[in-house]
Formats: sequence, C-alpha cells, structure tokens
Amino acid sequence: MAARVGKRVVTFLLVLGGLWALWEGYKWLWERTAWSKPFRVDDLTLPHAHAILLQLGESTSTGDDLWLFLIRAALFTAKSAAVGFAFGAVVGFFLGVVLVQFDVLRRGIMPYVVASQTIPILALAPIVVRGLGSVSIGGSPPPDWVRVSVIASYLTFFPVTVNTIRGLRSADPWALELMHSYAARGWTVLWKLRVPSALPYIFTALKIAATASVVGAIIGEQTASISNGLGGAILNFNQYYVLEPKNLWATNFYAALLGIGFFLVVLLAEKVVVHRAPERLV
Amino acid sequence: MSTVEPTPTATQRLGEQIRYWLPAVVVFGLGLAAWEWLLPDVLGVEEFLLPRFSDVVQALVEERDELLRGAWITFKEAFGGFVLGSGVAIAAALVLARWRPFGNALMPYMIAANAIPIIAFAPITNAWFGLLSPWSKVTIAAVLCFFPVLVNTLRGLTSVDPESVELMRSYAASERDVFRRVRIPSSLPYVFSALKVASVLAMIGAVVGDYFGGSLEALGIVVLSAVNLSRYSTSWAAILVASIMGIAFYGAVALVERYALRWHPSVQRRT
Repeated sequence: MAARVGKRVVTFLLVLGGLWALWEGYKWLWERTAWSKPFRVDDLTLPHAHAILLQLGESTSTGDDLWLFLIRAALFTAKSAAVGFAFGAVVGFFLGVVLVQFDVLRRGIMPYVVASQTIPILALAPIVVRGLGSVSIGGSPPPDWVRVSVIASYLTFFPVTVNTIRGLRSADPWALELMHSYAARGWTVLWKLRVPSALPYIFTALKIAATASVVGAIIGEQTASISNGLGGAILNFNQYYVLEPKNLWATNFYAALLGIGFFLVVLLAEKVVVHRAPERLV
Repeated sequence: MSTVEPTPTATQRLGEQIRYWLPAVVVFGLGLAAWEWLLPDVLGVEEFLLPRFSDVVQALVEERDELLRGAWITFKEAFGGFVLGSGVAIAAALVLARWRPFGNALMPYMIAANAIPIIAFAPITNAWFGLLSPWSKVTIAAVLCFFPVLVNTLRGLTSVDPESVELMRSYAASERDVFRRVRIPSSLPYVFSALKVASVLAMIGAVVGDYFGGSLEALGIVVLSAVNLSRYSTSWAAILVASIMGIAFYGAVALVERYALRWHPSVQRRT
C-alpha cells in the first residue's frame, strides 16, 4: 500500500518535472534559435513557468493578492458550474428513467437527444446568457451565476440522458428474466437491477459533463461579460496581456485546476458508488 | 446478406422501419409546431430567448451568403484542427504503445488533461498567433481533439486479445508485424469512436474560438455580433448552420468508420 502510494507520488513528481522541462526547454530552444514557427517565443507569449507561480503572490488592482483573487473567481465559477451540473444530472437521469419506461416516447425523443451530442451546443452560450439577462423574474433578471449555470445544466443534461437510457437498457437479460420469474414489480426491477447496471454508463456521462460544465460556465461568463468569475478574469487580464501576461496564464492555470478538480470529484464519487471495479480506472 | 432464415420482404421491412421511426417524426413535427406557435403565441417566450422558427428560416435564407462564408471559414479551422490534433495523437499513441510502462504511467495524466477547459486558453493562442489568425482556432481545436484520440487509441492498441498476440509470436512475427496485423486493426473501433467525439470537439473549438477573435466573417463572430445587435434570428440561423455542419462532420467520420470497419462484427451486425 505504502509502496504503491510512494510510486504514485514519484510518478506525479516525474510528470510535473517533465512538463516543466518541456515548457522551459521549448522556450529556451525557440528563443535561442529565434524560430518564429509556429509562433515567436518570448516572455510575452510564453512566460517562465516559475514566474507564473511567483506572480500569484503579487497584488492585483482589487487590492487582493492574485492567488486570493483567483480563488474567489474560481469559487464563483465553481458555484455556477456545480449548480448547473447537479440540476442537469438530476433532470437528465429522471428523463432517462421515464423514457425507458415508455418505449414510444423513447423512440420519439432519443434521436434528438443523441443528435445533440453531435452539434456544438456550447455555441449557444452567448445567446442563452444574454437572453436570460433580458428576462424578468419577480421584477429583475436572474442573478448572473444562475444565467451561467443554465449553460452548465444543458451541457450536463444531454449526455446524462443518453447514457442513462443506454445503461438502463443494458441490464443483463437473464437477470431481468429472473426478476420477472419472481414476479418482481417494475419498480423493484428498476431500482434493484436496471439502475445499478446503468451506473457505470451514467458516471461516464457525468465525467464528460463535469468538464463541460466548467467550460460552459467560463464561456458563459466571457460572452456575457460577467466579471466575478474566472471567465471574467480571463477577459480582464487578456485586455492587459501586453502589460502582464503572467496574470492571464495564472488564471488559466486555475481554470485547468478547477476542471480537473470537478473531474476528480466525479471520479471519487464513482469509486464510492460503483462497487465493481470500473474498467477505466484512473 | 445471406441467411438461412426467411427474410422479411422489402415492404414488410419498410413497414417496420416506418413504425419504428414514426414517433421520432411526430416529435419532430410537434417540436417545430411548438417552436413556431406554442412558445411565442401561447407561452409568450420572447424573441431574445428563442425567435419563431419561420423567422430563423427567413434569416437563414436572407443571409445565406454571409452564413455560408462564415461556415466555410469556421469549417476550415475545425477540419484543420481535427486533422492536426488527431494525427499527432495517433502518432503519439503508437509511440506510447511501444513502451507500455511509460504509456501506462502517463495514462491517468492524459485523462486528467482532458478535463482542462482548453477553450478558455483561446485568448492566449490569440496572443501567440495574432488576433486575426485562423491558427489560434486551429490550435484550440487540435488540442481539444488530441487527448481523447490519444487516450482511446492507446487503449485500443493495448487492449488486444492476448491469444492473437501469442499466435503471432508463435509464428515468429516481429513486433512490427504484430502492430500491423493485430494491434492496429483491433484498435480501429476505439480510434473511430474517438474520432467521432473529436469531430464534435473540433467544431466546438472552432465556433467558440471565433468568439475570442479572428476573421470577422467567421461563423462564431456572426453569432456573437448578431446577438449584440439584437438580430436574434440571425444568430439562431448561424447556430443552425453550425449544428448542420456538426452533424455532417460527425456523419462523414461515421461513414468512413463503416467503410474501414466492414469486417468488424459491430458494423456487420447493423447491416
């Protein structure tokens, strides 16, 4: 056990070191030879990796240190993404359950839910966020984070519905027959057999959706100029990129960590909920 | 198709098909009707949320030149990114499959890298290539395609039937032959399912990448500037064009898949 953990830590450090070496090696080689393909490398286009980390300790125009400012922004984005993710996952799951019960409905709706997976629905982000900004609920438009979470929720909803249906229908036919021979009611079959056998499928969708909801939240903030989150911070620092490129890099670094964090949370949940060893163990 | 069972006649099969797809057709009609009348007239959904279907179609027809020009620019970005990202990923997977321990150790990191919101890096690639360059979008699309194709190809190359490899070994086949005759063919289903995902990701990368700059005629810019000018039907029409392109791109990859995998049971069962 300890040996395995030790091995993992060593691998992690090696990968980290390898990435750092790649980064700095690329920068060094391209600067040294002044290659301009694919792009000219200097401190503006590719700052030193350690310089980006050190930048986190600098203070921003808001008065906070950059690391704290970015944590606040990340929490704002995380809230939109998480709420939208949870909502989309719950609705997607229940729609999947309903559609499996009624075959006519499934045949009617499934093709469109599947088709949704082949079109760039993220591109709807600006229309949705701006459009919802013009709606009035109780006299005022919905708060910024709610508008953004709508994007996260529809990005989650579609894959979860598709995979819930696939998973529910993948139940072992022998086991189904056995349940029927015990005169098990539909409800029992659903909860005791179909849902458990659908879980690996559902988690596959949730892992995709976890990342997508973070992406959706960031893009939603950017296209609607909502400034409290990471998307807003990216836009803001992008405007001052020529003055201080490291701020933008640091923000994207946080965005990457947030995406990976969401993914890891779902992965952890999968390990807890799905007792059988998932085939794609990370 | 040769089979000993009595095959249903063509009319019977057609009837079955119609019965199977009828609900989907009905839903399509109901959906369009709801979009056209129920939402705006009965539920009072405003234009800025979802313009009437006929308005969107009208915008599509009236501004077809602008939309098609944008679609072509954006498609080139997406396709370039798709080819670049998938090509590099497949090459990398072939290398990593030769050094299994190395590939296995990196696998979790490649999967985690897939969770990075790469589109958020569009402003940085703009700083690299210049605001108007298509290369920033190609790069974003390529990086988006890279990780899923890499992971799936590697998985396909390494999850071959051990008995086939053993058989090859017993014929004294070289490592190269094992790759050519066993590993690569049996990885193809994995590669194609990744390529289908990548085709969608490339479209997303190109359209959403457009939001951050680039040619003023690109499709994503049309969406964004139309929203800014409150020409909602135009932006929906542009989204519609992007969706049709997405489906066509995906369908094209699926067609190539069916052709390349004629021999594979998963394809033969369907026909």
